[in-house]
Amino acid sequence: MIDRARAALVRVTSPLVWRLPGHAARKLESFARAEEGSRIDLLAAAHATPALARRAAYLRHALDETRHAQMFARRAGELRRARGQVASGPPRADTEALFATLGEVRFLAFVHRGEQRGRRQFEIYARHFARRGDERTAALFAGILADERQHEAYTRALLDELCGDPAAARRALRRVGWWQAWRTWRRAGRALAHAIYATLMTALYLIAAPLAWLPLRRRARLARARWRSLDGATDRAGR
Amino acid sequence: MAAVLGVSGTYHDAAAALVIDGRVVVAIQEERLSRVKNDPSLPQQAIAACLDVAGLDGAALDRVVFYEDPYAKLERVLASTLGTFPRAWRQFPRAMAAQLGGKVWVLDQLAELVGVARARVTHVTHHQAHAASAFLSSGYPDAAVLTVDGVGESVSTALWRGSGDALTGLGELHYPHSLGLLYAALTAYLGFEVNDGEYKVMGLAGFGQPRFVDEFAKIIRRDDDGGFELELAYFGHHADPELGFGPALERLLGPRRPPYAPWDLAGSAADRRYADIAATLQRVTEDVLLGLARAARARTGSDALCLAGGVALNAVANARLAREAGFARVFVQPAAGDAGGALGAALLGAIELGDGRPPPMTNAALGLAIDAGGAADLARQLGLTVTPLADPAAEIARRLDDGDLLGVCHGRFEWGPRALGFRSLLASPRDPEVRDKLNRAVKRREPFRPFAPAVLADQVGTYFDGDADDLTPFMTTVRAVRADGLGAVTHVDGTARVQSVTAASSPLLHGVLTALAAAGRPPIVLNTSLNGNGEPIVARAADALGFLLAHPIDGLIVDDVLVTKGAA
Repeated sequence: MIDRARAALVRVTSPLVWRLPGHAARKLESFARAEEGSRIDLLAAAHATPALARRAAYLRHALDETRHAQMFARRAGELRRARGQVASGPPRADTEALFATLGEVRFLAFVHRGEQRGRRQFEIYARHFARRGDERTAALFAGILADERQHEAYTRALLDELCGDPAAARRALRRVGWWQAWRTWRRAGRALAHAIYATLMTALYLIAAPLAWLPLRRRARLARARWRSLDGATDRAGR
Repeated sequence: MAAVLGVSGTYHDAAAALVIDGRVVVAIQEERLSRVKNDPSLPQQAIAACLDVAGLDGAALDRVVFYEDPYAKLERVLASTLGTFPRAWRQFPRAMAAQLGGKVWVLDQLAELVGVARARVTHVTHHQAHAASAFLSSGYPDAAVLTVDGVGESVSTALWRGSGDALTGLGELHYPHSLGLLYAALTAYLGFEVNDGEYKVMGLAGFGQPRFVDEFAKIIRRDDDGGFELELAYFGHHADPELGFGPALERLLGPRRPPYAPWDLAGSAADRRYADIAATLQRVTEDVLLGLARAARARTGSDALCLAGGVALNAVANARLAREAGFARVFVQPAAGDAGGALGAALLGAIELGDGRPPPMTNAALGLAIDAGGAADLARQLGLTVTPLADPAAEIARRLDDGDLLGVCHGRFEWGPRALGFRSLLASPRDPEVRDKLNRAVKRREPFRPFAPAVLADQVGTYFDGDADDLTPFMTTVRAVRADGLGAVTHVDGTARVQSVTAASSPLLHGVLTALAAAGRPPIVLNTSLNGNGEPIVARAADALGFLLAHPIDGLIVDDVLVTKGAA
């Protein structure tokens, strides 16, 4: 339900937001980072799963994500250069260790939901860019869509297999949906806390800096003293 | 008799190393397992893997030693950001969030992560860990030890005397005056990523002429006693680590190079100019290091030198030190960067608990072993062809001679950033087109990047200047190429980053080179790391098979099986 509402929102807003100056490159870079993060999680899954068939499936999926990340980053670079901007380079992403955190069933449910959401989004974007006559970006999304559909299908099949029956798989999908909502809530809280913290720390910096001026000038002079000789006190292992 | 875990992390190149009864049992950089390049986190997976290899529970550890003093580092960050008021106003909240939100509690986090009593978790200082990693692994009874990097706590450069199992601090240079940060700033200026692109600058330098020496004399001033001082007006690291250099540097050297723009050294005058700047940086770095090394020789009187810290990974500079600094022997531990701090920390902890120095490091295969059976099963599942080999070394030699590009996974993976025959991509050293193909289609990287040769240790002098020494086993030096016909491994300046190979240092690679020699070929192969662009070097079977599937290579050898892409 939430995912469908999100897709509808994307459909309504995309004609506007993709036209914002510089937005297209930034958006594609965010997709590249997401694909890169997914690659890392899927490789971790390939190492951790006990089943050979699933290991192979996760590994192939990880390779697709690598390719997608490169495709998004390349196109983002082209768009940036076309605007006279500097390309932002290869995508970098962190991992949340999702396989270890969620376990294999919920990890698969998480990946399936992500692929389904991505497929819906990319279908809208492919049509949007085709309508705008941006064949290159439309082809990028269309090319990746084929993989997204396959990923969506195989993760659902594996989920059904692991859960034993489709009803249990649906329950796993619902549970992971709640977990994602909780994660989004916590992320929003963190972002708010970060903003408050940054404001307070900036204020602290302004208050503390004048007081620290005198001793720090002395430190700075010492730092310019080039080789600072040590007393040569020796003990075992240098301590 | 103690089990000591050394840990580095929370900045970049996190790693763990385990020393039991004075012997290095296992050492792993986190990026190999997490698959995140230069992974800066606490090395959770590396720690777990180290304990697993030794069959130990965390609670059984006698000591866990972190490679840095978190409280001294907090003090330096505070002093630095307040001391540059008001320029660091944006950096201050970020730095405090990083320090107070995690880094300053790292010893408690380690106790919880490892499952060991907090009282057993200690720390050494950053440069102490670097110095120990080099000296205690070297086997030298007595040596001058130089540690040179960006910054650890507040020290950027330190001079030690190593004797027996003791290290004595003799002098230090303090942040923000740092050779590592000079190199980092120019790396960023040249359009490369800091902590990743320094090798690229070194490779680029070979294409240029050091014609900006006068300009660099304004950036860094050297003293007669080996010390140096940066002119901070050109830099930004003391106010904002993400900035690196300031507008004054661009006024002095011209505009920075746009990051990730394609290189054209043949056609672009601007790119040739950037190469000249890289060449000047390399020359200046070498000159400063030479000054430091000569000061170290004068202060210690020792005829052996150990180097550590990120700057010690500059193989071209190491070669010059070995030639000109007056030392009879020079040693650089293979993980000379921050990852190596984990090893130094563990060794210091072991010595404090009464264990002796480890045997000299002759082999860098300190990681996890490859699972050849698991790799074969997974390869079949992926639809790849698996062929058992009776004599893998002979098969590799034959295929390389036929012009194949082969991935090789053998035994335990390497410690440090160099592939030394355990997770390597091998090719014939003859044809320069092989180098171009590797750069373009396989590694997908800048066209000026060189590739290294691996050669039988007793044949080094036949093909390169000088014989094998303490630097050549770990690819931490360069040599002039003496022989013709090595186009794929000869850099534009006529040098190569030679790896000398013995049966003890890299058994499979030794077998390959011996087989080549037996066939009447030069016992040399091109040896580069088995990794895709921007990825850590392969560690486990799935990583290796992923590399095979995603790259145009001819096959992958996993211990004694050959995996190829064609259907069976």
